[in-house]
Amino acid sequence: MQIRIRTSMIGAAFGFAIALISGGFAGIFAGLVAGLISGYVVPQAEPLTDKRRAVGQGMIAALVGSVMTILGIVLRNMGIDPIIGEPLNILAVGIAIIGATILCVLVCVVMCVVRTEPPARERIGMAIVVGIILVTYPWLDQFLNLRFMNEVIPVLVFLLMALGLNIVVGYAGLLDLGYAAFFAIGAYAAAMVSSPHFGLSLSFWLAIWVAAATAAIFGLILGSPTLPLRGDYLAIVTLGFGEIVPIAIKNLDKVSLSIWNYPLFVDVDLTGGTKGINPINRPWLPIIGEFSPSNPIPWYFLILGIMLISIFFISRLRNSRLGRAWTALREDELAAGAMGINTVNVKLLAFAIGATFSGLAGAFYGAYISAIFPESFRFDVSVMLLCMVILGGLGNMSGVILGGIIIQFADRLFLPQMSNVVQKLIVASGNESLRDINFASDFRLLLFGLTLVLMMVLRPQGLVPSNGAPRVLPVAAGEARHD
Amino acid sequence: MTTAMLELQDVHTYYGNIHALKGISLTVNQGEIVTLIGSNGAGKSTTLRTISGINSPRTGHILFNGTRIDRLPAHEIVRQGILQSPEGRRIFPRLTVLENLEMGAFTRNNAVTMKEDLERVYTLFPRLRERIAQKGGTLSGGEQQMLAIGRALMGRPTVLLLDEPSMGLAPVLVEQIFTIIQDINKQGTTILLVEQNALMALAVAHRGYVLQTGLIVLSDSAAALQSNETVQKAYLGME
Repeated sequence: MQIRIRTSMIGAAFGFAIALISGGFAGIFAGLVAGLISGYVVPQAEPLTDKRRAVGQGMIAALVGSVMTILGIVLRNMGIDPIIGEPLNILAVGIAIIGATILCVLVCVVMCVVRTEPPARERIGMAIVVGIILVTYPWLDQFLNLRFMNEVIPVLVFLLMALGLNIVVGYAGLLDLGYAAFFAIGAYAAAMVSSPHFGLSLSFWLAIWVAAATAAIFGLILGSPTLPLRGDYLAIVTLGFGEIVPIAIKNLDKVSLSIWNYPLFVDVDLTGGTKGINPINRPWLPIIGEFSPSNPIPWYFLILGIMLISIFFISRLRNSRLGRAWTALREDELAAGAMGINTVNVKLLAFAIGATFSGLAGAFYGAYISAIFPESFRFDVSVMLLCMVILGGLGNMSGVILGGIIIQFADRLFLPQMSNVVQKLIVASGNESLRDINFASDFRLLLFGLTLVLMMVLRPQGLVPSNGAPRVLPVAAGEARHD
Repeated sequence: MTTAMLELQDVHTYYGNIHALKGISLTVNQGEIVTLIGSNGAGKSTTLRTISGINSPRTGHILFNGTRIDRLPAHEIVRQGILQSPEGRRIFPRLTVLENLEMGAFTRNNAVTMKEDLERVYTLFPRLRERIAQKGGTLSGGEQQMLAIGRALMGRPTVLLLDEPSMGLAPVLVEQIFTIIQDINKQGTTILLVEQNALMALAVAHRGYVLQTGLIVLSDSAAALQSNETVQKAYLGME
């Protein structure tokens, strides 16, 4: 019982946080998210088989979720808004509370009941519930005046990368601290062929494959020198790679190459240096035309589509021979070799396939903001991705998605919005000395670090432990085992 | 009729600058149990690691059914049918017993024959059937040893390399394991057995080699070695 309430707090916290950062009707969405996440996490912690029990469980979880959401709505609309001078609309608050409660209970109970079905039907049922929410989201966003849309797209980009990193770290057990490098490589590869920079201007739909292939090749290039390394040594080498790539990109704006004094090319601008590459072609589709920066909906569905295809491929990979080989490699490299697994190829494939998804994400990201700069791919991106993977549950895709949503939501929506609110509160209180604190940027890395440490201590298997072997970071687990 | 299945010809193996095997020559014939005995650091495990391709020999040849395998990578050697139960067992601690066994059949991709082999392993080691869904790391030492041997059997070895199967086990269990090793051999698997427990090893083996600091100092039938005075003194603890 106690565990169930603790687990449903994950969803409830979301409800509370969303309701807190956006007033008015947005509370309804907060309830929906609370219900969805609770409905997923609670049966995960304790498998359900009986329908009536499932309804009961769902109700308890939904109750926790809606209470917290209502608390958020009330705190926002009646506590914060009056102080910072926003008008209070009692009718909106009432509708938000009622809507949030209904949606929270409905979604949560449905999710719990779906989980009692046999696996094949369970999967379809969950896909329908999640699918409806994902497909209707852009209109929900407009209708409820959420204004999250512009942040949701980068969130999905980062989730895609987290899924790729999960292949390397979670499945194959290779701790990669420089994963953002492949994001940069993918983004630049796409930008070079799909912009006026070299006069190539390929379509986005071609450039994204160029990006994926280039990232995969660089995955192999990074992978090959690290083959004999394990654990901490591997982490250091990948960390170095992650640092080298952005610096190299920054300095590849005047490249000359000559062989025996015969200049092949002189002062070629490969990457645009600190100025980056700009503009990058946007995707074009019949009917929709060229994706415009002012309408996020096509972008949303594009990245959602890329995500879904990636999830499909990764889950197939996980259960393939290669997936089993990764498991063996992660558990014990020497024993894996003794089983007849070609550890060299399997490692290289993990790096290459993991990098591919980051390359896809990079190509999309470049096209979405239509410009890229070396500064966008710094070390903290790699750290954030690793946090996303660890928080949710190493080696477990749905866990990684949940962990990723939490970190990204906190980083892009909750912290900035809250620091806005706090700023306004400080102004209202007239305390001048606190004015210069910016919570979003000042405490960002501190919060990541804190998350990592707390997770390692309290729940090393992640928020949503995978059904199979409990997974912990390869360094922590591997070194303890090595004799 | 005896045919040499596995043959080492003047094999030298190094760990960096350390000359671990100083010219090992030995043969394992089809259907035999051959044992390598010797004290710590004699090069027993290194010999197995060299055969299985984890360390490759600097000079010398290793022949398997007449073809050289000493330059093949470890996973290729497994594919040829030489499987090992490595030193220290090396089971996958966080996978279940069944998952461990399935990993053993990695080189083969045939669900039907895998089922047969699972049955065979469970018949040899009924304890593993009871522990089927348990994590490898939670098994007792003896059960882990059974799992390590069972896992190697899942790869349908023609030659099975066993590295110290008695290590860290209670005497009762040691006897049990050695009986099973004989059973496996009777089912047609050739076995190369590395052991510190020379008494047990010579009791089940057909022939034996005695290693000392990287060299073979004695080789004979197991019965002859058992009655050899030097062996008795040095390895069997008899005066």
